[in-house]
Amino acid sequence: MSALNIRDSSTFPSRRVEAWKYSDLRRWLREAPEVSSAVAVSGDGPWAGLGGDQLAFGNGAAAGADAFVGSGEQVLRLRFVSETSGTGHTAAARISARPGARLLLLESHEGAGSGYVAHNRLEIDVAPGAEVTRLVLVEEPEDAISVTEAEVRLGEGARYAQTIAATGAKLQRLETRIVHPGQGADVRMDGVYALSGARHVDLTSVVDHQGPDGRTSQLAKGVVRDTARGVFQGKIVVQRGADGTDARMGHHALILGERAEIDAKPELIIYADDVQCAHGNTVGNLDESALFYMQQRGLPADEARALLTQAFLFEVIDRIDHEGARERVREWLGDRL
Amino acid sequence: MAAVKETIDAVAALEKYAHGFTSDIETEFAPRGLNADIVRFISEKKGEPQWMLEWRLAAYERWLAMEEPTWAAVKYEPVDYQELFYYAAPKQKEGPKSLDEVDPELLAVYEKLGIPLKEQEVLAGVQGAPRVAVDAVFDSVSVVTTFKKELEKAGVIFMPISEALREHPELVRQYLGSVVPVSDNYFAALNSAVFSDGSFVYIPPGVRCPMELSTYFRINASQTGQFERTLIIADKGSYVSYLEGCTAPMRDENQLHAAVVEIVALDDAEVKYSTVQNWYPGDPATGKGGIYNFVTKRADCRGDRSKVSWTQVETGSAVTWKYPSCLLKGEESSGEFYSIAITNGRQQADTGTKMVHLGKNSKSRIIAKAVSAGKSDSTYRGLVSVHPKATGVRNFTQCDSLLIGKECGSHTIPYIEARNGSAHLEHEATTTRLSDDQLFYAQQRGLNEEEAVALLVNGFVRDVMQTLPMEFAVEAQKLVAISLEGSVG
Repeated sequence: MSALNIRDSSTFPSRRVEAWKYSDLRRWLREAPEVSSAVAVSGDGPWAGLGGDQLAFGNGAAAGADAFVGSGEQVLRLRFVSETSGTGHTAAARISARPGARLLLLESHEGAGSGYVAHNRLEIDVAPGAEVTRLVLVEEPEDAISVTEAEVRLGEGARYAQTIAATGAKLQRLETRIVHPGQGADVRMDGVYALSGARHVDLTSVVDHQGPDGRTSQLAKGVVRDTARGVFQGKIVVQRGADGTDARMGHHALILGERAEIDAKPELIIYADDVQCAHGNTVGNLDESALFYMQQRGLPADEARALLTQAFLFEVIDRIDHEGARERVREWLGDRL
Repeated sequence: MAAVKETIDAVAALEKYAHGFTSDIETEFAPRGLNADIVRFISEKKGEPQWMLEWRLAAYERWLAMEEPTWAAVKYEPVDYQELFYYAAPKQKEGPKSLDEVDPELLAVYEKLGIPLKEQEVLAGVQGAPRVAVDAVFDSVSVVTTFKKELEKAGVIFMPISEALREHPELVRQYLGSVVPVSDNYFAALNSAVFSDGSFVYIPPGVRCPMELSTYFRINASQTGQFERTLIIADKGSYVSYLEGCTAPMRDENQLHAAVVEIVALDDAEVKYSTVQNWYPGDPATGKGGIYNFVTKRADCRGDRSKVSWTQVETGSAVTWKYPSCLLKGEESSGEFYSIAITNGRQQADTGTKMVHLGKNSKSRIIAKAVSAGKSDSTYRGLVSVHPKATGVRNFTQCDSLLIGKECGSHTIPYIEARNGSAHLEHEATTTRLSDDQLFYAQQRGLNEEEAVALLVNGFVRDVMQTLPMEFAVEAQKLVAISLEGSVG
């Protein structure tokens, strides 16, 4: 994990720190904020109705346990709730899946209030042969700052799938670091963002292939409007000896506002020769000929644009295996476009 | 398939580093080390005007306040800047008027390197063969520039920059440092303080330069840094193709080469800049010696519809740190970057480009091919950025890396910064190894393993090779084969 500690302003990275080049935390946060007081977490959050246990944090404080061990087939709602103004808090959670477990981790970041600083640390251990699907919905006020760091360790033959859906904040960073053992382990790591106003989102990830025969598939897509800014930093590392690695990364973004911005840095760091690695990155706007075609068929321009945007982003959602959860993410995102 | 034949011949006649000989030429040095007096010494040697000395001293002051960059993915023994000689010139008569006055030993070096310095020799070839004007830079000074007369007829100025400072001070003063400011980076500041020679090119409006221009850099003296400065100005509607070649002797010390190249392209002008860089890469087994190639190259496409195309074949140097870039300021201006970077032994290369889109409807295209073998490391580092006011920008980037062997590394680090909604940017990158099937096929047809590798690698880099001027392409193909010697088996 990074050395970030929101109680110590000397740990706030500026854009001079390469990994924070496009998300200058220090610019927005010069001093350590006052510590938030705990709040009670009510309701079931955006994942309501999908069942399972709950692990919840109200302004950083755990409402009950702060760790969960999954075995067999389980669903866990992991909720980070911030309900405060101008104060800051850190939440730390540990999730693990025993050998053979199949855990559906439904995570939500629910923000109310304004101008808060939320820092979440998450450790996820996936035992050999276990499977974890982490789906994350992030909705926060436009003047909030939040940094979520997840560290994921996989055992042999483990499967880990992740989809983050975010709408940004003043600065919202979701960072995932995966230690990939190879050995038949399989990672899917996706993200989707839809930003408007002056919102900023940063999807940063590092997948470190340390052993042979690992697979990673990554797809991130986003749309930015107004003066919003989308940041994608994806790094795939293939260490010496991690032969047989198959890693693919794609990031595609639409700029739908004249003054919106996309910054992307898809990195491949390769030290083994028997590998198949590729990345692709595109930035553009909606296909004029597709728009024209749809208008010709009688769709108003706005509707045609909305439909094309939705189709563009939903490609990421379609990769979610769990049907119920997939539909929920689809609805959630559809409502926010 | 003459080219394939050439490659095979080259492999058959494998030499380690063909240009590694040293020449015992009487050389005049500046005192060892660097201080303001050395800067004055160099300026005085060149008979420079006062403003130029002041410019250098200001650059030196800036350099003192700067720190050597460490962000590149390369590791090397730090350079002791006080141990180097900043000026080394072969002793010769003051300003030789013709080739006859140039030290024959010096001419022998160029003959050995295969660089045509005698105009009649160039002409003696096949009728209609392309001619190339050469500026030969030996350590710190330019020894000879060919075809000057003929170029003058077309109005083209092609001369050592030290001479240009005397004969065309207004042009040099107007453009020098206007593309790469003295404080741009550590090595550019160092170069600005101590550069000793390099080429100056001015193509007048509407002129298509009648022949290819080239500069050939040779480091000969030991413990010497080479700091050349090239300034190319293509006035409205002009065209020039410029070639650059580099070699150095085999020594087990590291030598520093910190050059700056500035290109200015005005309205409708086009500049094609090709480099075949074959500095001594160091001993492949121990990694001892070799050139540190820390170079700043930048083109300013300030005119509308101007175009600059960089092509580089990087096979040499122990450590490469080089990002030829284009500032696309003019409307509909375009920039191209074609690169082949081959590393073997213990070489390290961190190279790529920056395409900075400032003008409306500006376009850029990047094709980078990296081949890593042995225990080498190769990094593509590039930036494509689009300014908020630059509408209609297009970029296409393709980076392919090929790994040969288990101990090398290959990295791709692109930065994409889009701040305009009408931009269309595409980037794709792949990393793979040589296909066993293809190798097997080639070997079945009677090629041995090294020949097969050379053939496949030449196929891998073909897109870039095709953008090189013909005489360079042939040379570059041979280099590819030689550079990969010992990478298999």
